[in-house]
Amino acid sequence: MSAVPRPKASPTRTGDDVIVMAKDVAKYFDVSPPWLNRVLERKPRAILRAVDGVSFEIKRGETLSLVGESGCGKSTVARLLVGLYQPSGGAVEFFGHNLREISTAAGRALRQKLQMIFQDPYASLNPRWRVADIIAEPLKAHGLVQDRRAVEARVDELLNQVRLAPADKEKYPHQFSGGQRQRISIARALATHPEFLVCDEPTSALDVSVQAQVLNLMKDLQRDLGLTYLFISHNLAVVHHISDRVGVMYLGKLVELAPKRTIFSAPRHPYTRMLLDAIPDLEMSGRARTPVAGEVPNPLNPPSGCTFHPRCPHANDRCRREAPVFKPTKSGVSQVACHAVEEARI
Amino acid sequence: MSIAPLLEVRNLRIEFPTRRGVLLAVDDISLSIAPGEVLGVVGESGAGKSLTGAAIIGLLEPPGRIAAGEVKLNGLRIDNLPYDEMRKVRGREIGAIFQDPLTSLNPLYTVGQQIVETITTHLHVSAAVARRRAIDLLLATGIPAAERRIDHYPHQFSGGMRQRVVIALALAAEPKLVIADEPTTALDVSIQAQIITLLKRLCRDKRTAVMLITHDMGVIAETADRVAVMYAGRIAEIGPVADVIHRPQHPYTVGLMGSIPTFGQDHARLAQIEGSMPRLTAIPSGCAFHPRCPKMFDRCLRGRPDLMPAGTSQASCWLHDPDALRTQGKDSKYFEGDASQINQYNTVLPVDRVAGEKGKPVKYFDGDASQIDHYKTVIRPSDE
Repeated sequence: MSAVPRPKASPTRTGDDVIVMAKDVAKYFDVSPPWLNRVLERKPRAILRAVDGVSFEIKRGETLSLVGESGCGKSTVARLLVGLYQPSGGAVEFFGHNLREISTAAGRALRQKLQMIFQDPYASLNPRWRVADIIAEPLKAHGLVQDRRAVEARVDELLNQVRLAPADKEKYPHQFSGGQRQRISIARALATHPEFLVCDEPTSALDVSVQAQVLNLMKDLQRDLGLTYLFISHNLAVVHHISDRVGVMYLGKLVELAPKRTIFSAPRHPYTRMLLDAIPDLEMSGRARTPVAGEVPNPLNPPSGCTFHPRCPHANDRCRREAPVFKPTKSGVSQVACHAVEEARI
Repeated sequence: MSIAPLLEVRNLRIEFPTRRGVLLAVDDISLSIAPGEVLGVVGESGAGKSLTGAAIIGLLEPPGRIAAGEVKLNGLRIDNLPYDEMRKVRGREIGAIFQDPLTSLNPLYTVGQQIVETITTHLHVSAAVARRRAIDLLLATGIPAAERRIDHYPHQFSGGMRQRVVIALALAAEPKLVIADEPTTALDVSIQAQIITLLKRLCRDKRTAVMLITHDMGVIAETADRVAVMYAGRIAEIGPVADVIHRPQHPYTVGLMGSIPTFGQDHARLAQIEGSMPRLTAIPSGCAFHPRCPKMFDRCLRGRPDLMPAGTSQASCWLHDPDALRTQGKDSKYFEGDASQINQYNTVLPVDRVAGEKGKPVKYFDGDASQIDHYKTVIRPSDE
């Protein structure tokens, strides 16, 4: 029994079931020194290419995960997808509408279908608000529910959905543990009946047993409500558990995108192989690990050609000169940006 | 054990006196580490693993204090040493590696000055020799161009390189024991793998014993010889790392292992332990894990289990006590002691379930303490 009438048809233009499409989307940040320093000390302008031309699509009901190390731009992609950042280049389309329309009055219906869950459940809930007010805020902001009784009924329903007790709504966030707080964030995100949830490291701040509770809950909700997720994480085991498809990012670019099974059983890009190799092995199979030397380069001054070449065991002259294009492999299952894969050297 | 242990912790208790009473953060922990052995200590936040490490190196933050027990290094007690004596032990005998490499280095000194200071403080060598050794150490930890890098400040290093410096610093005076508290948690996976490999290699070469404190079971599986799993200030299970991972004996370890996503198989769902670790102000009576335990039976409500043999490991769980199993279900005392103490615990059995399913895992009354009066009469012993 829903207290809120569900919006009927989705505002779809494309007709197929791709609901999010990123087309060569980019985000540059100007991190130049102040004007006076540039003039007096001749310091150059500095542009950080946090996301540098990323394309992918997400189909209804699936979970796409983006993985990568700190500074690879995965969280920036998440923020671009919900409109918290405006792209510097390219476009994000949501149900066939450009995301720029989202801040207009006509974008209101679109906004309801798009919600975000943040990493830190301690920072993302207002400590001075009761849980009932936190969860009811989107309902009120979108004018979905008019009278107080209906709001209360919907809040109870949402709390039940995330396995909390309706009595919890009178409490404040500090009275909950980290995992319970993350459930409150999820309840808040579900308030407007969204179809697409962007989850930016939703379990990184949680202990493993609590992480399992939240991951199970997210899977249950996806099944029950038909949600579509973009899941951002640095933890490959978590990504393996929750995803349908996985994208690997390195220095602002996608280097590999493939179905989960393919990426974990037959990774193509050397960086993906390195990441998989670096995971501590709980199975204790005793496999030899080859920790790849080197660290992520400074994104302000990325290497020439393929940005991974200084750490790559397969790099040659072409890799140092020319940036590889992100395109489907011969089998057509995955998309990879690597000269060595293209030339069938690996 | 045949070899004399290097570190021996016996019945360690750590208390925090607060205005609302004394909180028991670490409750009666005993463990030992042999020379050259890597002991992993895992647990979730608040289990007391970092406090145990801090107590061993004498760096408990007041008001935290060691209330009972002893810490022995090479057979000599170190927990009651005066401050100056303990300073000599720290660095010389026990090295420490902490989670955040930026805060464990002094930003105002070059890394060379910091390593040289550690070496000259503990070993009687000249500054020139110490500098040479510092460069060797930095090279051994995999810092390229160490001759040049030694005169750089911490902020000029990346996170992974900084953690290498911290490791060099911890090993500078060739300690016999290193306490590593979440040494890889702040690092990316590719760097984490490098640091673990490095730590393993250095400690094997120098036969340094390591107490590796982490919440990451994967790191333990790769690195440790034995592992201690902590829960609510106690050791739930301790044993050889392969046995604890593949044949966990304590229900908490079973749940913990099941809740870790792995690559081996496609699980639709992860095993989950309901609820969360109790706060220090409300540690349940009996076994602290019983409100979350799927195998709970009547014995678990009375008395805390101590470590007892379980398979090739040791577990503190009544399931491994033959006496407790024999009398299972025959004992109707659900709460032993003064009913006025009940307010301290927020889990009390409800009336109907006690009468209905004696000795079976039951549902709990989890609510307002003011309502407990209503249940008191039933909980008190006994209806037989």
